[in-house]
Amino acid sequence: MKKRLLAVLLTSAMAVTLFAGCGTPGSSDSGSGSSSDEKVFRYSTNTEPTTLDPSKGNCIPDNEIQHAITEGLVRNTGGEVTEGVADEWEVSEDGLTYTFHIRDDAKWSDGEPITANDFVYSWQRLMNPETASPYAFIGEYIKNGLAVETGEMDPSELGVVAQDDSTLVVTLEHPTAYFLSLIGSSGQFAPIRQDVVEEYGTDFAADAEKNVYSGPYVLTSSENQQWVFEPNEEYWDRDSIKLDRCELTYVAQQDTSLAMYEDGELDYVQLPSASVENYEGQDHAFLNGNVDFFYWNTASETCPALTNVNFRLALNYALDRNTYNTLVNNDLYAPTTGLCFSGLADAGSTWGENSKLQGYPLDGDADQAVEYLNTALSELGISSASDITLTITTSDNDSSKRQAECVQEMWVNTLGINVEINQVTYAEVLTRQQNSDYEVIWGGWGADYDDAYSYLEMFKSDSSLNRTGYANAEFDELLNASQTETDAAARSEMLHQAEQILIDEAAFLPQTEREVHYLINDSVEGVQFFHCALNIDWVYADFAE
Amino acid sequence: MLKYILKRVVAAILTILVLITVVFFLVRLMPGEPFTSAKLTPEVAENMRAYYGFDKPLIVQYIQYMGNLLQGDFGYSMKYTNRTVNDIIGETFPFSADLGIRALVLAVSIGLVLGIISARNRGKKIDFFCVIVAVLGTSIPDFIMGAVLQYFFGIEWGLLPVARYDGIEYTILPACALAFGTLASVSRIMRASMLEVTSQDYIKTARSKGVSDLRITVKHQIRNAIMPVMTIMGPTVASVLTGTFVIESIFAIPGMGKYYVESVSNNDYSMVLGMTVFYGIFLVLCNLIVDILYGVADPRVRIGER
Repeated sequence: MKKRLLAVLLTSAMAVTLFAGCGTPGSSDSGSGSSSDEKVFRYSTNTEPTTLDPSKGNCIPDNEIQHAITEGLVRNTGGEVTEGVADEWEVSEDGLTYTFHIRDDAKWSDGEPITANDFVYSWQRLMNPETASPYAFIGEYIKNGLAVETGEMDPSELGVVAQDDSTLVVTLEHPTAYFLSLIGSSGQFAPIRQDVVEEYGTDFAADAEKNVYSGPYVLTSSENQQWVFEPNEEYWDRDSIKLDRCELTYVAQQDTSLAMYEDGELDYVQLPSASVENYEGQDHAFLNGNVDFFYWNTASETCPALTNVNFRLALNYALDRNTYNTLVNNDLYAPTTGLCFSGLADAGSTWGENSKLQGYPLDGDADQAVEYLNTALSELGISSASDITLTITTSDNDSSKRQAECVQEMWVNTLGINVEINQVTYAEVLTRQQNSDYEVIWGGWGADYDDAYSYLEMFKSDSSLNRTGYANAEFDELLNASQTETDAAARSEMLHQAEQILIDEAAFLPQTEREVHYLINDSVEGVQFFHCALNIDWVYADFAE
Repeated sequence: MLKYILKRVVAAILTILVLITVVFFLVRLMPGEPFTSAKLTPEVAENMRAYYGFDKPLIVQYIQYMGNLLQGDFGYSMKYTNRTVNDIIGETFPFSADLGIRALVLAVSIGLVLGIISARNRGKKIDFFCVIVAVLGTSIPDFIMGAVLQYFFGIEWGLLPVARYDGIEYTILPACALAFGTLASVSRIMRASMLEVTSQDYIKTARSKGVSDLRITVKHQIRNAIMPVMTIMGPTVASVLTGTFVIESIFAIPGMGKYYVESVSNNDYSMVLGMTVFYGIFLVLCNLIVDILYGVADPRVRIGER
């Protein structure tokens, strides 16, 4: 009998083994497994790119791909703007008109020449409401941009004209100091071939085969959450491209990415915050330009105390940002009391170096907070702090919860007000921000272009990105003036003043600047990091011999 | 038998229709909107709503959706803007199904064998061992199992790849992690039902006729005891084959699981609907097959239906 039983067991085991012998989907065309003399850079993202269509890109992973497979008029590498498809350009004295000259050897990956018309088509497509580009607002700098976006004007009226195949004239709404930097790092301004879009229709760029490429690399595969890049042989600066291939893999869990790095399957990995201390001395770090803060509704009807400047100052002074950073971020981020990211380009230096901001003490100041609170209470006619109840709306993940709880505890202990936390889905947080349907809400910002305006704009009273109801005429004037000021130093001064107003009026609750810790294969060189529109730039990466 | 099958098929189609309708209207009640981004301006939001047809009355949208669905078109994802839900399912389902089938074969074959062995050796050491396996399988969540397997076999001992799904060797760890829980429940149910069958009259009859132990087990016990296992196989097959978020996420497998979970938190209406309908059809089909197999395996079911 035992023999029969053994036979049954063996048969099952054999069935399992036999089954395991079948192929797996995607195994035949896997890009991995390179020969040792090939230079292959492999990295991962834990946010899946949403689209390969340059006009529809709307997040950093989207843009990082575009940065490799498209080439704009200029190229922004780590903040330095160099020539791209255009090898020369002139800017009119009033800063409103840019004339770009397209280089003779600029070609698409199929060998066709890149012309000025490819830019006209692409930019009109970006702003055309029928495209429904999630990032169309980034083109509002171009003359008539907003009117085209809202359908009031035909896309042909956008301020971009091809004088001939190699001359492109761009007219702006107002002088924009950071215009070249912006178009050099944002994939939305890349050229697009009309005939290719028309060939594929709504399937344009749905996968690697359904597009042609203008950038240093072509996409050879976009299947199975992996994107494979190879050098574009038609690229005008082909000699500067050293990699034979780059493989980007979507890996949801940072812990899994780390395990893959440890296993030699990746050359670059961002460290999960809990693992940073295990890699002390081996890791590197960069500030990615994301600033964390809480918005509050300065026109709140449900919590009128928030309309009072002294009350908002009390909330800001009650927050001990150093302790907060330890409790919430394991000290991995940098506490801040400002709005604009310190590493931004600013009149030949950085925003942080030029800043004379008088912010709140990083350790908080309980006495000062109570003083502001008492002034606020008498101004509001409220007898006791315990009569005030605030609700912090935040998303339903652990880190957001920790953030809110830490702030809650400091406010309750120092000020004696009541603070409630309302956790909702991330989509709901964003919807409430857009509708100004909150009292205090989780927020944060990363720049789209290397300029303080990208952050300050959120508090301009007429900005469609203003979620707080904040309005200050002096602040608006400074921002408006900064848009027409062509002297860099004077402009910088205006923007710094504007930031100081936000702090003096406690327009929001500043918290931290995010720092990313990462590991990188020692033999990889030439990888750059940037703090807006993209984080990692591996276009010029190479492996040491 | 034909009537029995027909009845089941009609019920299945009705179930799917109700499911689609309910889900279509339910997703609209989810808090938040599909077009949300920290940087979304009202102008952009309006263009996007028009692009996806949200400016039309809900009932018109429903009729359009049903019309497209009849042609097998789930529409464009709202998050992955230039990919259709069909594309995404088409690309990811093979991975989830491949992993699921491997896990199921493992779970069912080992689970059944363990259940049978343990029932035949009730109270002995081997039974005790099988019960421990079952308890562990039920109580250890698959993300722990996955992480433990990944750590030891992938990182510590370097025997197998830690993640992705690029060949046979890549499938072993996730399939084992995924199989463990199902294996435990199959073995538990099989053991219980084997024991229940043991006390039935027909087993006593067979025994009194002098039929050998093994023959009783194979011929009478297993055939009757397997019915409850078949009952759980419908939903189990459907859920295991259509992607498991946790295991796929731990092992970076490009399967469907992530899209289920993410589509809800992103309020990606077309993806939520597409995924639910796909899963719904799959579940109903699996249950239908189980129902039919019931009829085949157990004549009493067919007779009862008449």
